[in-house]
Amino acid sequence: MSGLAVAAPEQTTTPRPVRRRGSYRWSARGFSLPAVLVVAVLLYLPFLWTTWISFTEYNGLGSPSWVGLDNYRAMFDDPNFLTSLRNTLIWVVGSITVPVGLGLLIATLSYGMRFGSWLRLPFLIPYAISGVAVGVVWRFVLQNGGGLSQALDALGLPGADSRWLSDAPLNTIVMIGAAAWQQSGVNALLFVIGLQSIPREPIEAARLDGASGWRMFRHMHWPMLRPLTTVVVGLSLVASLKTFDIVWVMTKGGPGRNAETLAVTMYEETFVNSAYGAGSAVAVFLSVVTFLAAITYLRRQLSAERTV
Amino acid sequence: MTPMAARILRPAILVVLGLIWLAPIYLLLVNASKDPARYAADQVWRPVSDFALFDNIRQAWEIGGLGDAVTSTVLYSVIAPALAVLIGAAIGFGIVALRLKHGFFWFVLVFGGTVFPLQMILMPLFVGYVEAAIYDSRLGMVAIYTAVTVPFSALVMRNFLGGIAHQVFEAAVMDGASTWRIFWRIYLPMSTSALVAVFILQATFVWNDLLLGLALSQSDDVRPLMTAVTALQDTYGGLQLTAVLAGGLLVSLPTVVLFLSTQRIFSRGLNLGQF
Repeated sequence: MSGLAVAAPEQTTTPRPVRRRGSYRWSARGFSLPAVLVVAVLLYLPFLWTTWISFTEYNGLGSPSWVGLDNYRAMFDDPNFLTSLRNTLIWVVGSITVPVGLGLLIATLSYGMRFGSWLRLPFLIPYAISGVAVGVVWRFVLQNGGGLSQALDALGLPGADSRWLSDAPLNTIVMIGAAAWQQSGVNALLFVIGLQSIPREPIEAARLDGASGWRMFRHMHWPMLRPLTTVVVGLSLVASLKTFDIVWVMTKGGPGRNAETLAVTMYEETFVNSAYGAGSAVAVFLSVVTFLAAITYLRRQLSAERTV
Repeated sequence: MTPMAARILRPAILVVLGLIWLAPIYLLLVNASKDPARYAADQVWRPVSDFALFDNIRQAWEIGGLGDAVTSTVLYSVIAPALAVLIGAAIGFGIVALRLKHGFFWFVLVFGGTVFPLQMILMPLFVGYVEAAIYDSRLGMVAIYTAVTVPFSALVMRNFLGGIAHQVFEAAVMDGASTWRIFWRIYLPMSTSALVAVFILQATFVWNDLLLGLALSQSDDVRPLMTAVTALQDTYGGLQLTAVLAGGLLVSLPTVVLFLSTQRIFSRGLNLGQF
């Protein structure tokens, strides 16, 4: 849900004449201290600790011993990690296309229509339930010979005997479908808000010039929705890199760890294998990738917007 | 495409898609309501013949231990977000009204706490919690849920409080009010809508958390709900699939109701939050 808030442009407070009020210096610190303290102790300190541990060998007992880049080297030689990396990539590509595209489709189809908000309701319900509950529902639907297979069978469609959650990369793909089921509705909502904020005059002018349907969308709505699309894709990108809940609930990472994502691999290495150094290396790698992806994406989008 | 065809096609596509979207919900509702004795794995689309939802929920609640987890999770998702909005409002007040020196730096520092993935902090928290003897304790869970929700609260509250004219503060000072009193009696009441919106968002986040629960708790009366549901589904320990589904349905109801009933409040709160 934080998407709605982040989508809102950050507005800095209007500059006011600065008045030195020395008497408030201490109360200002007093009011700000709890936030700084709780974030420093419970978020930053662990963050630094993980970074350090990633250069050591450590299993939780005794003291960590420095091994330099060994964990990182071992990581890139580990077939499980490479599978996990591949799956995470599939997740990223799937998440920035399927739920965003469906959201855009639902928004454009329902926008301005009578009862449009009612027609959008089915898509919003999955958004209100947790990743875990989505996992429970879809694990049930996707059991071998379960709901989906029975439906395909009844409709005479192929694929009824697929082992949805066992075979890679099929399991990752169907889980992306489950995530899209959850996410598309809120993306649609965001796009509707975006459509509402498009000024009417140019749309009316285009309509008078005979534009409608696809051409109207392609040349008028789509360019105007661009800033919002940037935000939605950016948020999906960052969120998909961290995919954990759905994968954990539906497959525990899959038979032979074939459905793991980086977030799952980190959990597995740390809390199942007690390889804290290796787990930390995965966490650091994931953080760096997330950070770089976000920065690169934003910079490219911002420069693209300038040239448009 | 003629406008006439479009008028029929657009709702038609939406309705078909909507039905596909509702199908998993239908499967959940129907199968969570089936009598376990009559549940047939190869006929999951068949409607309910005798309604056993409440029996299934009771089973998940009692045998699956969801009852304990609900109590803890209600505590977590009320206390932690409440603390987080207060802490976030306090730093917002310190920066905006009291003009904390280097306020923007401190704000970025606090907000930066959400930038990296939770995976970066799990292991140290686990080790540190064991050392500090707060592993698998409600105190430890409240502490971490507060910490992870503070940055976002600080973001929204700082923006929101920035919209309150500084003259309000100056006038209150003229009247001889202390900063503490100005915060509690003027700034907090003026920002109720933002506080409520942030609280709801964060409460939903805490309610839905799986990862922190997995890493930092294990006993039945500490672990949060989503962790308990995951365990329920893994072991099936004597539990029928129907009860697992009933559990999944049960834990989803509060957030669905909350979301559908508060959409308006929270969009209003966040709109105001921009100014």
